[in-house]
Amino acid sequence: MRNLIALTVLLALAGISCTPTESSIDTVTLPSPDSPLVAIRLMFDAGSVHDPAGKEGLAALTALMVGEAGTAQREYSDLVDLLYPMAAAIDVNTDREVTVISGEIHREKLDEYTELLHEVVLEPGFRESDFTRNKEQLKTYLTTTLRASNDELLGLECLQQVLFAGHPYEHASEGTVAGLDAINLDDVRDFYRQRFTQESLMLGVAGGYPDGFLDSLLEAFSSLPPGGAETVELPEPPAIEGRNFTLVEKPTGSVGIHFGYPLPVNRADPDYFPLMVANSFLGEHRTFHGRLMQQLRGKRGLNYGDYSYIEHYYLPPFTNTPTPNVPRRQQYFSVWVRPVVPNTAHFALRNAIYEVERLIELGMSQEEFELTRDYLLNYSKLWAQTLPDRLGFLMDSRFYGSGYFIDEIDEELKGLTLDRVNAAIESYIQADDFQAVLVTDDAAAVEAYLKDDQPSPMPYNAPPEPEVAEEDKKIEGLPVGADGFTTVAVDSMFQGGS
Amino acid sequence: MSSLLRPTLLGCVLAAGLIAPASAADIFPYQVHEKELENGFRVVTVPYDSPGTISFVVIVRTGSRAEVEPGHSGFAHFFEHMMFRGTEKYSQDAYNKVIKRMGADTNGFTSDDRTVYYITGPSAELETIMDIESDRFINLTYEEDAFRREALAVLGEYNKNISNPFLPLYERVRELAFTRHTYGHTTMGYLDDIKAMPDYYDYSLSFFDRYYRPENSILLVVGDADPERVNELAERYWSGWESGYQPAEIPAEPEQTEARSSHIDWGGPIAPHMMVGYRAPAFSDSTAQSVTLDIISQLLFSESAPLYKKLVVDEQWVDQISGSYTDHRDPYLFMIFGRLKSGDLQEKVDTAIQEAIADLQANPVDKERLERIKSYLRYSFAMGLDSPQSIAMTLMNFLVLTGDPQSVNRVYEQYQKVTPEDVQRTARELFKETNRTSVTLSFPEPAAEPAAGG
Repeated sequence: MRNLIALTVLLALAGISCTPTESSIDTVTLPSPDSPLVAIRLMFDAGSVHDPAGKEGLAALTALMVGEAGTAQREYSDLVDLLYPMAAAIDVNTDREVTVISGEIHREKLDEYTELLHEVVLEPGFRESDFTRNKEQLKTYLTTTLRASNDELLGLECLQQVLFAGHPYEHASEGTVAGLDAINLDDVRDFYRQRFTQESLMLGVAGGYPDGFLDSLLEAFSSLPPGGAETVELPEPPAIEGRNFTLVEKPTGSVGIHFGYPLPVNRADPDYFPLMVANSFLGEHRTFHGRLMQQLRGKRGLNYGDYSYIEHYYLPPFTNTPTPNVPRRQQYFSVWVRPVVPNTAHFALRNAIYEVERLIELGMSQEEFELTRDYLLNYSKLWAQTLPDRLGFLMDSRFYGSGYFIDEIDEELKGLTLDRVNAAIESYIQADDFQAVLVTDDAAAVEAYLKDDQPSPMPYNAPPEPEVAEEDKKIEGLPVGADGFTTVAVDSMFQGGS
Repeated sequence: MSSLLRPTLLGCVLAAGLIAPASAADIFPYQVHEKELENGFRVVTVPYDSPGTISFVVIVRTGSRAEVEPGHSGFAHFFEHMMFRGTEKYSQDAYNKVIKRMGADTNGFTSDDRTVYYITGPSAELETIMDIESDRFINLTYEEDAFRREALAVLGEYNKNISNPFLPLYERVRELAFTRHTYGHTTMGYLDDIKAMPDYYDYSLSFFDRYYRPENSILLVVGDADPERVNELAERYWSGWESGYQPAEIPAEPEQTEARSSHIDWGGPIAPHMMVGYRAPAFSDSTAQSVTLDIISQLLFSESAPLYKKLVVDEQWVDQISGSYTDHRDPYLFMIFGRLKSGDLQEKVDTAIQEAIADLQANPVDKERLERIKSYLRYSFAMGLDSPQSIAMTLMNFLVLTGDPQSVNRVYEQYQKVTPEDVQRTARELFKETNRTSVTLSFPEPAAEPAAGG
C-alpha cells in the first residue's frame, strides 16, 4: 500500500541537490542520468506584486516580452522556427510572486535549445510589434477569457480581489485593462533591468543533463545584472467581518459560488500539514473523497463538483493535481461550488456552509483521520510523476524555505495525530467571517433571497435517501446571515484605473 | 472497421501471452504484452520503470458515436457517471473508500468513440484494483432514484461548460456538418436531451447491456507490473464477464454537397469567435490519408506556420488560431478555431486562411519543411511519454481506434512516408468549398442611438 513511497526513494537516489554554487544565482538540481529529457526552470522574483500602481500587468507583460517575443538578434517568428523541429517551447508564467520561464527538451537537442534559452532570457528584443501583440493578449484574457468565457475562473479571480482588496495580491496577475494601457515599452525595459537579476533568479535543472551543464548555465546567466531586486513586504490582508457577498452580474444560465478568507498559513508552517488533512477530508480537489463532493454532488446531484483549498490553486478547472511554481507567501482558504442551476443556488450555498460548520463542530474522527492521512501519503506522490513537476515542487520548497514538498508531506503526515488536526481545524477553519462571490445573471434576485433568508428546500427530481432528507431539513433553513452585498457588472471587472 | 485492422493472429492467442518486442524501427520504445481471454476481453500490459506505480485503464470502445436513438444524445457520457454508483459488493461509498485507502488517482472520460476509466495508484494494489474494477463492469447496479439524481450532476457539467463559447460553436458546427451520422451531436449532448435523461432509466440498463461487454473493452496496464501476473489476475477477475456486445448501427453520412454556415449571437461583450469544419476521412494507420491531416495541421496552424505567423504575430488579427484533425473511427472533421480581435477582421482572416489552403493545393510543400514537421512529431511524441499515465493514454488512443497497440508504430511509419504530393492531394480533397461548415459567434452590436431630435 505504501509502495508509492518508492518514488521518493527514487528521488533520493537520483540525487536531489540544493547546494548553492559559488555564483550568486540560487540553483536547484535534480539529476536523473538515465532520463532522455532535461527540464530547465528559471524562477524570477518578478510577480504581479511588483507591478507599479497604475501599471498593473507590467510583470506579466515583461515576462511575455522575454518568453514570447523576439530577441535582439532574432524576430519571434525565427525563434519559433528554430525551436519547432525539437518540439521545444519556452514557456512563461507570471503569478502574484514570481515569473517562471520553463522548458523541457530531449537531451539530443540540449545544446541547441540552451543556446536559444540564453538568448531569450539575456537578450530580449523588446520590439514594438511583440509589445502590441503581448499586451493585447493579456487584455483579451481579462476581457474575453475571464469576463465572458469561464465563469469559474471569473469567480475565483474575483474572490481573490475581494479577499486582498488594497493589497499587492489584489489585481489579477495579468493586470488590469487600464494598467496595461498605461504601460509603454520603456516601462518593460526598466522592469526587466530591475527584476531579471542574478539574485532574484532561482535556476532549476533536472533530468539527463551532462556533467558541466549546470556550470555552463550559471556562466551564461551570470551576465544578468548582479544584485537583487527589493522584496515587496506584504501587509496583512484586510480583516473580514461577517459574511460578505459580491454578486458578479453577467449573462449566464447558472450560478457559480466561491467563498473564503485569508489563511495565515503556508507550506513553511507546521500547521500546514494538519490543515492539509482536514481540507482533504472536506474537499480534496477533483476527487470524490471530500465531504463537499460526496454530499453536494454525490448525494444530491447539485452540480459537477465541490471542493475546498488551503492555498491558491492554479487553474483549478483544468488540472487534477496541484501545479508547481505558483508559490505565494500569503494564502487563503476557499470553497468552490461549481455552477448550479439558479433554483438550487441558495440550497447549495447553505449546504457548503453546513459542511464547513460541521467540520468545525465535529472535527474528524480517528477513522476519518487515518483514512485521509494514509490517502494523502500515497496520493501526494502522484503529484510529482514527471521530471518538470518534481523540479517545480523542489523549487517551490526553496521559495518557502522548507524541504522537498512531497517528502515533507510524507514525514509530517506520518508523525501527525488526530489531536493536531482537530486543533488546526479549531484554530483556522471558520465560517463566520468570509467573502463570497456568486456569478449570476440576476444579482437582485440573489440578494433578495439571501436577505430574506427563508428556507430553500432542495427541488429534487427523485426522493433522496432518508438520511439525506433528514439532513436537508437542517440545511434548507440554515441561516446564511449575509452582512453585506456588492453587485458588480462583469464589464467593469479587471478594468482598473480610477 | 476496427476488426479488419486487428491482426488475425490475436484471435488465436487465448491462453498464452503474445509479446510484441519493441524493435529499433518502432517509435514506441516499450514492450507490449497482449492476451485475450475466452470472453473476448483483451489485456495489454506495458512494463515501465515507475517503481511502485501503475496506471490501470479500462477502455470501452463505445462513446457518443453509439447514441443512435433520437433524444438520447449525451448518454454514453451519462453512463460514465453511473459507473461510479456502485455494486452490491462495493457500494459507491465502499468503492470510494478503497480508492481513498490506496491513495489512487481515478477518473473517467468520454468522447465520440470511447469511454475510458483509469486508476493510477500503487502497483502493490493490483489485485484490489482488478477486483473493484471487474466488479463494477460485471455487476453494476443502481436504483432509479440514484439514476435520476445523477442526471442533475450531468446537467451541472453542462452548465459549467456552457459559459465557454467553444461549446455552442462546437455544437453548431457538428449539427450542421452531419445530417445523419451521430457525430452530429457532441459527447456532452443537447441540453434538452440532458434535461430528459432522468426519465430514461430503462434505456440506461439497455445501454450497459449492449455496450459494456468484454469484446468491446480492453484492459491496459502500464508501469510497475509483471505481465504474467496481470494476465493471471485478469483471468481470475474478468473471465466471468459475459460476452454479448451488440454494436450500434451507425448511420452513414451522405456526401456534403454544399457549404453550410451559421451564426450565434452571444449574450454579452466578447471577442468574435469562428469555427470551421471540413469533412475529413476516418483514421487509418494503413494509408497516409489521415496522418497527412496531422501534417497539414502543422503546416497551417503550428506556431511555425506562415499562416499562424501572419494572423497572430504579424497582422495580429487573431489572438488564437488552431486547426487539427482528431482521430476518429468514422469520417469526421478537420476543425479550425479562431478568436478574432474584432468583427470587421472576419473577411481578412477568412481570406488569409483560404490563400494558405490554396497555396497548399497548388504547390508541393518544401521537402525541408516537411522534414522539420516530421522531426517535431517524433520529438513531441518521445517527450510526451514521461509517466505511466501518459504512456497509457497514448496507447489507449490507438486501442480505441483500431484495437491494436501496434497502430502507434504504424502511424509514425506513415508519417515518415508522407510526401509533398500526399500533402497536396490531401489538401485538394479536404479543403473543398462543398466540404465546409462554418459558424461564427459574436456579441451583436447594439442598435445605433437615434439622433437627438429637436
